Amino acid sequence: MALPKLQCITHALKNLSLLSHPDQRALVCVNQVRAMSRVKRRHTVPPFWLPKTTRTMYPEHMTPENEVFLKDVIEEKYSSPLKTECWERGTWAKNSMRCGLIGRKIGIYPMWTKDGTRLLTTLLQVSDNQVIKYIKPEDIVQGKRKRYRELGALVIGADHIDPRIVTKEYYSVFSEAGVMPKKKMSKFLITPNAKLSPGTPLYASHFQPGHYVDIAGITIDRGFQGVMKRWGFKGMPASHGVTKSHRRGGNIGSGGDKARVLLGTKMPGHMGRERRILRGLKVWRINTQHNVIWVHGPAVPGGVGSYVYIYDSVLPDHRHTQENHPPFPTCFQDEEEVEEELYDQELHTFREPSVQFVEK
Amino acid sequence: MSCYYTGLARSDLKPPVASRSRRIKRCRCKCYGHPKTVMVMAVVAAAALRSSSTRLSRLLPGVCGEAWGHQARRGAVLRVLPFIPTQDPDVIKKMPEDFRAVYPEFLPGPKPEYRNRLREKLERQDMLARRSVMPIPEFYVGSIMAVTVADPNASGKNNRFVGICIQRGDAGLRAWFILRNVVDHQGVEIKYEMYSPLLQSIEVLRLEKRLDDELLYLRDALPIYSTFPLDMEPEVMQEGAPVPVNPIKVQLKPRPWHERWERKNLQGVMDLGLPERFYKKAKLHEKPWEKYDLMKEYRATIPEEEQADIFREISPHYPLMESTRRRGKRKRVLPSIS
Repeated sequence: MALPKLQCITHALKNLSLLSHPDQRALVCVNQVRAMSRVKRRHTVPPFWLPKTTRTMYPEHMTPENEVFLKDVIEEKYSSPLKTECWERGTWAKNSMRCGLIGRKIGIYPMWTKDGTRLLTTLLQVSDNQVIKYIKPEDIVQGKRKRYRELGALVIGADHIDPRIVTKEYYSVFSEAGVMPKKKMSKFLITPNAKLSPGTPLYASHFQPGHYVDIAGITIDRGFQGVMKRWGFKGMPASHGVTKSHRRGGNIGSGGDKARVLLGTKMPGHMGRERRILRGLKVWRINTQHNVIWVHGPAVPGGVGSYVYIYDSVLPDHRHTQENHPPFPTCFQDEEEVEEELYDQELHTFREPSVQFVEK
Repeated sequence: MSCYYTGLARSDLKPPVASRSRRIKRCRCKCYGHPKTVMVMAVVAAAALRSSSTRLSRLLPGVCGEAWGHQARRGAVLRVLPFIPTQDPDVIKKMPEDFRAVYPEFLPGPKPEYRNRLREKLERQDMLARRSVMPIPEFYVGSIMAVTVADPNASGKNNRFVGICIQRGDAGLRAWFILRNVVDHQGVEIKYEMYSPLLQSIEVLRLEKRLDDELLYLRDALPIYSTFPLDMEPEVMQEGAPVPVNPIKVQLKPRPWHERWERKNLQGVMDLGLPERFYKKAKLHEKPWEKYDLMKEYRATIPEEEQADIFREISPHYPLMESTRRRGKRKRVLPSIS
């Protein structure tokens, strides 16, 4: 990740007597962005630009009849057909990027392959994913590289919430798309041929068994941890005269010319609650009734119940080709019939007979 | 002006009329309502109001069920679901009373950080699918079983092992059990995953229980207690007969042992014959208060209502599962100690 640039603004001092000449304006760095080694890892307050999601609730003294009426109104409003027009659906081309999904980690359990190998799989539930907005490549502020200048973005939302508890500002984000307000939103960079109209629902069948995904998530918050857990230090013996230093870091300097503690020295501190991306996880199984995806391994960042962002893998070995690309731009489950359970070819479905080895 | 939390007028300093239920706590504005108290009462009041009875709302002045119904629904953690046992006679007839003992791996692990209803439901579906292909019989720790697994390195590609079940653990698809036997004077223990597709069959040769939940002490017992013939015939049991409890007392070898068995309160071993100091030390490590610790039991188990829900969910599969349970007549053969 590139270091954030130093932002300096010209600051006209009120008390000009501090300066020798009135034309001399001090270049004072007021909004200095710190280097990574000085950045706080634990943020207890959300950033200033984030709008408030829920509004302050006041006792409204509503009668039961009014409550029922409001519920009906909400249901009617959001169950009507989408008001936005259906856009033209793009076709897959080389180097196309389609959007991802927002899922929730719901658990881990073992599965077996057809030759009896046991593996652990993480279950991710994709609930109520809908497209909120499409942002054209011209409207995105991106880096200068040519590749990124051509990418648009789709804003996807997951898990709807009651529109009555939501602020006006937050609600306005969804009112244009005509979808129910969402708990979680994320932006996915896409090539323009993968664009989808706002309000399009996205399902787990967006991915297919046998393909590979990258998963981004926030790791479990472990709090303030010592060097042994945080950096894997070996510590010191429990006995043999060791004085008060069984789990400490020991020496922190190299001495001599470098008469200081070097930047980045591993020390105790906050561990976890960081965004991490795990690349190249195979999708083993998909349940289209409950929108659950089984991905390889138990190491998806985050605890059970946390949100994850699932993308098509960028690894060169798992790139899509003309022959084996997934439904593009997405699987329109409302129009096509999809099987309830989709399995990878190598996976043992529990309804099959037991694995047996044939004598050669 | 009314209190934000309770809706009571600020000048109202009298405690609420409902005197039977709660300890009166003061709200921060010094009116006598307490947010939590009011929310619980409001959930009840909301329910009462929905059933169009206003008696309860008169009992609770200043509390409007609807104003707090919404908040109570959103924020309250005090949702007590009533336990309504099933009335369906077919389900009642089929549901075994001892289902907790017969199908313990269907109950999920109690740790709330790992629990998720949908994942547990999908796991149960997979477990039932596997059971429909390879039936898993009822067994307990102390039962003698024969397991056949597919093994690419074995002649005939299958491997059969007979042993006594000394331990079983975990829940869901990870459920496992350990079989122990002594083969050619060598103690052998094998851990089997119950839902692995490599397992071809699980037979229970002798269905019985022992006095202890785990028989790990057989590792320190005389080998005769862990020896079972590899070609043992299954002993058939009478349909509907209770599972017999084998009251055998096992003799341990002299110390050293794998564990301090004198501290474990074992019922199925003979007198250990240790010096008095061992028993004195064991007494210091006793925790006689644990049997009164309700929270410990709460943390280690799933609530009764949820267990009933789970077994009701799998009840359509009972006929198939029950048919693999004990059948026929039983004859008992005691291990010969000579």
